[in-house]
Amino acid sequence: MSDRQLDVLVICGSLRKGSYNAALARTLPALAPGGMKLRTAPSFERFPLYNFDIQDATGFPPEVNAWADAIRRADGLVIVSPEYNWSIPGGLKNAIDWVSRMKEQPFKDKPVALQSAAGGILGGSRMQYHLRQSLTSIDALLFGRPEVIVTFAALKFHEKTLELKDQTAIDMIKLQLSGFEQFIRRVSAKE
Amino acid sequence: MANLNIVSICGSLRKGSFNAMVQRMLPSVAPDGMTIKPAPSFVDFPHYNADIQNSTGFPAPVNTLADAIRAADGVIFCTPEYNFSIPGALKNAIDWVSRLQNQPFVGKPVALQSVSPGPVGGARVQYDLRKSMMFLDAFTLNKPEIFIGNCASKFDEKTGELKDEATRGFIKQQLAAFAAFIARVAPKS
Repeated sequence: MSDRQLDVLVICGSLRKGSYNAALARTLPALAPGGMKLRTAPSFERFPLYNFDIQDATGFPPEVNAWADAIRRADGLVIVSPEYNWSIPGGLKNAIDWVSRMKEQPFKDKPVALQSAAGGILGGSRMQYHLRQSLTSIDALLFGRPEVIVTFAALKFHEKTLELKDQTAIDMIKLQLSGFEQFIRRVSAKE
Repeated sequence: MANLNIVSICGSLRKGSFNAMVQRMLPSVAPDGMTIKPAPSFVDFPHYNADIQNSTGFPAPVNTLADAIRAADGVIFCTPEYNFSIPGALKNAIDWVSRLQNQPFVGKPVALQSVSPGPVGGARVQYDLRKSMMFLDAFTLNKPEIFIGNCASKFDEKTGELKDEATRGFIKQQLAAFAAFIARVAPKS
């Protein structure tokens, strides 16, 4: 673990094409330290709404298993999500609810860093604190600081290309990802 | 007291849900004049995606739930806690209706109840739900709170009946308080 390149999975909480958070997620590979490779998680778009009766009757849907496997294989996760109604988007929470019921629960001991972009002054921070609470319940290892909270998103991404053009945000992301790399190496199981 | 029409929303989709059991018993402890009916289900809602909303509009079941909330004098949530917070499916339903014009939770009296197998009885889902409801300008009843912990011992699993008399009493008190709260926060006519 000490020097091999880390495999980090990026999960986006928004499903819309023009999402600022998806745009933020796309900037990450260029800003990551050399010791970290980022890949995009499979989508949770096709997950049914969680219902124990489905799990009980027909087992976990294949999309849920694919998502869980991708998380299990990764050395760490970066979750990039908008805030809906002061909390976690229902779609993302539903995905977490599904995999939380699995044996070999994929978030257990998984290093996780959080990022959010939003139109207002708080930049999705309330979503992040709710997500910290939920991920605590499933034994994830949450990265502390620096936080990446992109406020007033409409001013910070290029209107057409959705490229992140705000230098402060870019610098913060670089700091977070390099801190996250050290965090993953520190908290990973000793070989 | 004026007649009050309340809709109840269950946060769990499974048939044997303890929260659905509570939802079903509410009419039996409601104060005079209060009618409580289950809201239309959110089971067929897609995951919220603004692209769906922009291309084909709000799905029919979303409008149906929103209309039921708008038409009601109040809303009662009976919900489990998933991973220290709101079940994703329930949150998704709230996310959908939150985007509607004439947003249905504005000024709507809301009461919260939760059932869980553990000792905390779903307190965390309630505090997260309160925050989302606050953002949506609902009026959420403060007290009494209904946290039904250690639920396995309080229900008859076969009949789905709530056997715990103390819990029935708490729910009865909450519904009476909710009726008074609705009267208090109603717009002055």
